[in-house]
Amino acid sequence: MNTLNQVLLNPAFQLGADLDGWRAAGGGQGLDAALADPGAIIATLEAADLRGMGGAGFPTHRKWAAAAAAPAPDGDKYVVCNGNEDEPGTFKDRHLLRWTPHQVIEGALIAAVAIRANRVVLYINPHQAEGRAQMRRAAQQWAGTEAVRRIERLIGKPLEIAVVATSGRYIGGEETAVISSLEGGFPFPRRKPPFPAESGCHGAPTLINNTETLANVPHILHHGAAWYRGLGVGDAAGTKLYSLSGDVLLPGLYELPMGTSLHDLIFVHGGGMLEGKAFKGVFTGGPSNTLLTARDLDVALDFDSVRLRRSRLGTGAMIVISEGTSIVRKVAEYIEFFANGSCGQCPSCKAGTFQMARLLDRVDSGRAGPGDIAALRNLCRILPGSGRCGLIDGAVTVVESSLHTFPAEYGVAEPAPAETA
Amino acid sequence: MTSMISHAQALQALRPGADAPMRADGLAVNDLLERFHPDYGAKARVSLRIGANAGAPCHPALAGLLESNALIDDLDLAGAEPLATDVLVIGGGGAGAAAAVTAAMRGARVIIATKLRIGDSNTVMAEGGIQAAVGADDSLQRHYEDTLRGGHNEGDRALIAQMVSDAPEVIRWLIDLGMAFDLAEDKALGSTLLRKKAGGTTASRILCHRDFTGLEMMRVLREAVELQRGIEQLNRCPAVELLSHDDGSCAGAILYDLERRSFVLVRARAVVLATGGSGRLHLQGFPTSNHYGATADGLVLAYRLGARMCDLDSFQYHPTGVAHPRHLAGGLISESARSAGAHLLNGLGERFVDELKPRDVVAAAILRECAEGRGIARDGQTGVFLDARALVAADPDILETRLVSLGHLAAKCGLDPRQEPFLVYPTLHYQNGGVMIDGDGATSVPGLLCAGEVSGGIHGRNRLMGNALLDIISFGRRAGTRAAESLGQRQAGRGGINHVHRWRRALAQAELPADVRAPLLYPSYGNFHLRRTAAA
Ligand SMILES: Cc1cc2nc3c(=O)[nH]c(=O)nc-3n(C[C@H](O)[C@H](O)[C@H](O)COP(=O)(O)OP(=O)(O)OC[C@H]3O[C@@H](n4cnc5c(N)ncnc54)[C@H](O)[C@@H]3O)c2cc1C
Ligand SMILES: Cc1cc2nc3c(=O)[nH]c(=O)nc-3n(C[C@H](O)[C@H](O)[C@H](O)COP(=O)(O)O)c2cc1C
Repeated sequence: MNTLNQVLLNPAFQLGADLDGWRAAGGGQGLDAALADPGAIIATLEAADLRGMGGAGFPTHRKWAAAAAAPAPDGDKYVVCNGNEDEPGTFKDRHLLRWTPHQVIEGALIAAVAIRANRVVLYINPHQAEGRAQMRRAAQQWAGTEAVRRIERLIGKPLEIAVVATSGRYIGGEETAVISSLEGGFPFPRRKPPFPAESGCHGAPTLINNTETLANVPHILHHGAAWYRGLGVGDAAGTKLYSLSGDVLLPGLYELPMGTSLHDLIFVHGGGMLEGKAFKGVFTGGPSNTLLTARDLDVALDFDSVRLRRSRLGTGAMIVISEGTSIVRKVAEYIEFFANGSCGQCPSCKAGTFQMARLLDRVDSGRAGPGDIAALRNLCRILPGSGRCGLIDGAVTVVESSLHTFPAEYGVAEPAPAETA
Repeated sequence: MTSMISHAQALQALRPGADAPMRADGLAVNDLLERFHPDYGAKARVSLRIGANAGAPCHPALAGLLESNALIDDLDLAGAEPLATDVLVIGGGGAGAAAAVTAAMRGARVIIATKLRIGDSNTVMAEGGIQAAVGADDSLQRHYEDTLRGGHNEGDRALIAQMVSDAPEVIRWLIDLGMAFDLAEDKALGSTLLRKKAGGTTASRILCHRDFTGLEMMRVLREAVELQRGIEQLNRCPAVELLSHDDGSCAGAILYDLERRSFVLVRARAVVLATGGSGRLHLQGFPTSNHYGATADGLVLAYRLGARMCDLDSFQYHPTGVAHPRHLAGGLISESARSAGAHLLNGLGERFVDELKPRDVVAAAILRECAEGRGIARDGQTGVFLDARALVAADPDILETRLVSLGHLAAKCGLDPRQEPFLVYPTLHYQNGGVMIDGDGATSVPGLLCAGEVSGGIHGRNRLMGNALLDIISFGRRAGTRAAESLGQRQAGRGGINHVHRWRRALAQAELPADVRAPLLYPSYGNFHLRRTAAA
């Protein structure tokens, strides 16, 4: 399969904040369909098998159903479009925000219809200044439109669409941190439960979805679940934005059928390895997952298939590494990123990421002592699950996986027995 | 092969005692340049295909290096010794030393990395002198106009204005550092600086120390580097690549320690590139006056990181390089000989050009003589005569006082300048263009500054004698000051070579070869290979 999908990145939709243009290109019809039969929206998403594109691949309809069913004590419900995107190797949401703001906002409005939300928050990373400006302008263009009036009649309240700047920090994208942030606090994650869908922003039910997730919604409502499923390869449903980077000839953002193989992404669309060097591995999904290796080139890039290789699709970011690029150095770079991104609430995460970064730096610069690898291994054993959010787990996963798969780069001959077992 | 006049015949054509006649020339300056100067003509330029100057002209040999692959891979950084500093200065000539001293005086921690040792540079070879409008009959305005005109009105006016205005203060700074200049009167106190006239200038504006001004300048700069607190020297550590942050800004550099044969990774808040010129590329087969380190490394590194350049197809060929004996070919006979009154003569014993015209004009005139059969051949080398006989006769002490180096050179050439003229031929001398900078030496790449010969825009398409030594101190100090300002601004984060990956993609897409690698570091006959194990 080597065709590009042209849904989210359809050239006709790359308009910026131009509501008339968006309508002329076929936009708005998904929302019309949603308003015509609000009760059918969630079932349609379920039939389409839409998954969360923010990293977890959680079935979108389940979140929406929970938020729809949750009582609203003060009458408020929130829909939040998570546009915080700030991880090495992921660069899809910023494109959607910048070039297709209406595609995203329409998705959020459909969510408001589905769960009867009166507050739509477009939560945008301020480092993407142009995306934020486009979203602001686009949000204003919806004010007073017939579509918005119909939503207000349905929910019986005024509908507020707000564009809010995130802290710009990586951690601010974690969903409970999104809530702290919207409440005016530091972007600190909280323990779950309660889940945001039940009790989120100021205690109100809050549906948080990734930008790309929401961007798919209008098309699903417009063209139907069967059409959407058919966009994928085999059992995988729909279309996916892959952020391809690293040692390939043509890095970039590719919209491909969900389930396209890693091989095709790299060798067909990415133009192959840079300088024809040998393929070594891939950091997937915001580099917080198990590395994929040459054995995995045939893997279908969808949530379930990648999981069968004990990794995760994550955000769809694929950072490709060739011979000549140091795995340890890359891992050190990412762990340093995580260490800087740790909010510092949980001591294990704060100190753990820092320690790992220090040890990796020593390995990378050839100053590691014999105890350092053992220390890294110990950290990999004791840190997982010790934080409020997934940051520390992701950081450990990438360290552990690189140690396991590329021991020689750490100056270790063989994987330790405990790991091979 | 055009016919030449033999050396013996040419000697006979010299008229002892009499002033040589000046041949009426008949060729307009533009014609002369277009037909005979190596910057013109079909082999002089190609269009760059990738990088910040894509579409702009560049000398083909230089283009081959600018559009080349990096020497190193990401993996080479693993195991590299990591160092961190505020300011990294690359290059140990005058510009680099001035930048390092200035930055350190402002409190920055400085590392200065050199390819050979500090002082092994074009700066020490400068003989003639340095321009500064300090005479009562001179003015900044005249210096400005001369410089602009000398560069064929192509120089950046703001940069020129700033440089000529800096000049008197530059001289004062050098004197404060201990540099000795020749004086007009032989008095212990209260004497004025001796001023000489240079080609293309309207006033006597050259200040000098005998005819080894650059050596004296480097002597004091080197002492200043040694004595100034906060400067660490890394000698024999050429830069092989710059480091970048993900936003494309400069994060430091990767050096190769020649003694330990290992890479050193220096993270810095600001990098000052002061790697000098590119004479050792021997463009179009010309000999060069430059030192061994002048291999265009700085241009290659800066271009790969995205810096914009200018005038990459413009070089200065100094009119009077040694042509005989062969092993000294390319070595410079300073313009001070001509400023003092030495004449150029063809094989017929005629003068054929006003010797104090701008260098490109004089060089083109010599090449014309050789091309039109009036050149002189000796042991397979060709050229014209540079005749200092009358000069020495008029002032018998001059070889011990003002033209010391000329005397030494004559001895090396095995001739007596009282009796016999030198055989000279143009030599590749100076890179007019380079990395574009603002008044503080900042380039289009954040965190990367440039000073000295590696930068471009100041001298337009032709440099006047004495303006390079001025340029390197004026801009070297300014770049050092600016680099020190970045202190505390940006965190010296982990840098990488993502720009190299981007570059390799661009090479592949433009179908340029991936196996040409640069910077060269040393000329090919230096027989240096970064990886001894490689088949090379
Ligand atoms: C023979 C001769 C005579 C001259 N006479 C005059 C004159 O009379 N008046 C005048 O104004 N100008 C003169 N010039 C020009 C002037 O000397 C130079 O343009 C000027 O000195 C250049 O200074 P710089 O500091 O930019 O470069 P340089 O003095 O050449 O210093 C560059 C330094 O960078 C180092 N380097 C290069 N690549 C690397 C790398 N990859 N890593 C680390 N270090 C590196 C070099 O080894 C060297 O130490 C003359 C030049 C020559 C060659
Ligand atoms: C540390 C951390 C950072 C995160 N950053 C983002 C982000 O920037 N954008 C995003 O959409 N999701 C981010 N997530 C995932 C969110 O928590 C959440 O799962 C997602 O926004 C839900 O949307 P989805 O179901 O549509 O994928 C992050 C998660 C973690 C643990």
